[in-house]
Amino acid sequence: MPAPGAIKTLIADDQQSMRSLIRTSLNALGINQTREAADGEDALRLLLAQPVNLVITDFNMPKLDGLGLLRAIRAHGPISKTAVIMLTGRADRELVQRAVQFGVNNYLVKPFTTQILKEKIEAVFGPLE
Amino acid sequence: MDPFESIKATFFQECDELLTDMESGLLAMEAGDDDSETINAVFRAVHSVKGGAGAFGLDELIRFAHIFETVLDEMRSDRLHLTDEVAKVLLRASDVLADHVAAARSGGSVDEGRTLGMIADLQGLIDQERAAELGLDGDGSDDGADEDFGFVPIVLSLDEPAADAPEVDVAALMAAATAPAGAPPQATTAAPAWLVTFRPKAEMYAKANETGLVLRELARLGDVEVVVDTAAVPPLDQLSAEQAYLSWTIRLRGEATESDVREVFEFVEDDCELIICRDGEPEAASAETPTVDDPESDAPASAVEAAAAAPLDLEALLARVQGEPAPEAAPPPAAMPQPVPEPAQAAPKADPANMDVAGLIALAEQASLDHVQAAAPPAKTEPKPDPKADARAERTAAAAGATAATPTIRVDLDRVDRLINAVGELVIQQAMLSQRVFESGLARSSDVALGLEDLELLTREIQDSVMAIRAQPVKSVFQRMPRLVREVADMVGKKVRLVMDGENTEVDKTVIERLSDPITHMLRNAIDHGLETPEEREAGGKAIEGTVRLAALHRGGRIVIEVQDDGRGINRPRVRGIAVAKGLIAEDAVLSDDEIDNLIFLPGFSTADVVSDISGRGVGMDVVKRSIQALGGRISITSEPSKGSKFSMSLPLTLAVLDGMVVSAAEQTLVAPLSNIVESLTPRAEDVHLVGGRDAVIRIRDTFVPLIDVGMALGFRDEPLPPASGVAVLVESEGGGKAALLVEAIQGQRQVVIKSLEANYQHIHGVAAATILGDGRVALILDVDALVTTSRRKAPRIEKRMAV
Repeated sequence: MPAPGAIKTLIADDQQSMRSLIRTSLNALGINQTREAADGEDALRLLLAQPVNLVITDFNMPKLDGLGLLRAIRAHGPISKTAVIMLTGRADRELVQRAVQFGVNNYLVKPFTTQILKEKIEAVFGPLE
Repeated sequence: MDPFESIKATFFQECDELLTDMESGLLAMEAGDDDSETINAVFRAVHSVKGGAGAFGLDELIRFAHIFETVLDEMRSDRLHLTDEVAKVLLRASDVLADHVAAARSGGSVDEGRTLGMIADLQGLIDQERAAELGLDGDGSDDGADEDFGFVPIVLSLDEPAADAPEVDVAALMAAATAPAGAPPQATTAAPAWLVTFRPKAEMYAKANETGLVLRELARLGDVEVVVDTAAVPPLDQLSAEQAYLSWTIRLRGEATESDVREVFEFVEDDCELIICRDGEPEAASAETPTVDDPESDAPASAVEAAAAAPLDLEALLARVQGEPAPEAAPPPAAMPQPVPEPAQAAPKADPANMDVAGLIALAEQASLDHVQAAAPPAKTEPKPDPKADARAERTAAAAGATAATPTIRVDLDRVDRLINAVGELVIQQAMLSQRVFESGLARSSDVALGLEDLELLTREIQDSVMAIRAQPVKSVFQRMPRLVREVADMVGKKVRLVMDGENTEVDKTVIERLSDPITHMLRNAIDHGLETPEEREAGGKAIEGTVRLAALHRGGRIVIEVQDDGRGINRPRVRGIAVAKGLIAEDAVLSDDEIDNLIFLPGFSTADVVSDISGRGVGMDVVKRSIQALGGRISITSEPSKGSKFSMSLPLTLAVLDGMVVSAAEQTLVAPLSNIVESLTPRAEDVHLVGGRDAVIRIRDTFVPLIDVGMALGFRDEPLPPASGVAVLVESEGGGKAALLVEAIQGQRQVVIKSLEANYQHIHGVAAATILGDGRVALILDVDALVTTSRRKAPRIEKRMAV
């Protein structure tokens, strides 16, 4: 049963409002160790400098999209085991399938509630304390 | 503020930026740019608006954004092609989207008919069958979409990530997959086993699938032994990174059924050769897949290990994953990695350390590459320049430079204003201190005086920096104009192309806010009155599409905004006729062409025979002129018949400080804005004449201009100052009229902080504002324009050149 406080999380989304929403939800779950990146490249840079347990990434981002970020994470040994949850739009079935191919841990459909976010995280790490 | 509300406010701010990005992308598309990156950027913007709208439950916005997004997605996937018509529909859709955002923000709503009409137009771009497929024929919602996708989350343990048995490290898997075949898989147990032969085709990699992940999935089904066949790998110099050379033989032990195994390959089935059979069963596959015992093959294997083990830098990682996985976007051959010949000859045995890292990656991981041009070996090969790719790269770089290089923070405007105010006070305080110290008799070279000088420099610098905070590019105003032009052009049935220049010209925020109305009015005027109808243009041998140019530039400490059209120009006889008819000028007035043109700024002047809905909303150009003058600006027009007209307005860059000339009149200290001052001179008694025994004019070279006794004009004194005992300052009003201000003395030039008189007292004719001088006294800033206008009204024809 992982302590929420122990899950270091990186939020990658090009929209400040989305990052804030995700962060607010994470904080409500007790996940307080969060960092934010505005695009995939930025996220990768942060990850390489300081690995985290969980990456919640949007798909649509400039420079390096969520899929690219996922592939980069999986391709690089030291961070390849980072859990990745992909944010998708409602009808992005194709995207989810591709993300599965690249080893995404879970996906999260926008818009989401804190409860859904919790379930998605618990599906990866087990029930939160 | 409620955190949710504050996030929502952030979202709307982002929307502004997204809508701007969207529109500039669409404008580029209208100009013929069908680059996938441009379309993608527009799509991304609309998608982000929709995403945020979803989070905040803005249903109307979601509905419209969804349809818009779907159409853009069709373009992205090349099912809908960019035409002029498509671009125009998209641009109009962007206007509607902007309206929806505005409505969501203010809690209002958008005219339903307009929305539905736009939706119909968007749907019209896609053929009906496809629209039905996309669910666009319905109400636009996609509630029915399957959200489950049959997804099974991949579980991770937070504490011991490596402990989970099914959790297989990709690098390890890859290394295992390519391990030397010296130790062939051994059938050690009697458990049922599947023998899978997996030979990916290049297409599989082109679709961004990865062998490693497939193998990983397979490993979940039971114990796997993986053997890679590298026999097909050509020598390094013949290796094409786009090709697939490797194949794998996997022996899977466990309870898995054949369909379990097949399911793993579900997504790659069509792009590989796949043979699944019971272990031990004689099958063609085993014959085709000879045991790999070629000793040569351990070099590529160690290369894999080297590549996997080597710490990859960000660049390399990015290079490997970037690029869209669309198969048609295959890189030109020239851009592929071309390993250098020498190491290539020795390739199989080469020490990996001496090999080019990119080459290694290409060899070892060609499996995972769909786009390799970014990983081309540095320096050693020179890809043939591909102009299109170069241009794209430049654009990307430019875009990256524009967005990445400048991190920004959002600050409440009030805070900035407080800072500016405080700095204004600081400037005054510093000036006062300097003056006191100077008056106290301290030597200029004393430490205190020198220290004060440094302080003054610093103060100036702080002031400039603070002003720069408020400075913003005029883009925020300009970006609203293409839409306006489209709407006005549609309304009056003219074809108009808007060209914008100098959008990045910076000016104080308060000035920007007030630029919008005059620019709007001038543009409307240019389209409605300036441009001819398409028929007239055609008859006149002009392009049917008229051009309106909106430009911003800095000139002499002011910002100049120009609106230029290539229309019919001002009809001078008609303007003159109207002015005479309305009693604005005398019938026999002698006016230059320029003066006639500028008559349109006179109050009550309107040239439109019928007041149109567009530019003649009961306000004429005089209102524009007044609002510009209120900002300390001036406006003028130049025109050439049948060639077009050009409005120029110039405004101060900031409304907070002013460069002024400090003068004294009737024992008062006054400030004349430096921008109005042409020259100063000591009047000679013989140059001053009285007109009608009362109003003085002064001859400056060959021109007579009114001589205004400032002390009297402002009511400080009843008796005129003898001209010869004062100084005449020749000023030019915003409207171009000249006058000489008679003052007692000139004290010097100074930058002053403007304090509004209206805000603290009330408006006084002839006074624009007040300021606080270095000695702490309040000084009034002269409203040169008002002074000149008053004097000219009194003596309307004096200024005219006289025969001497």
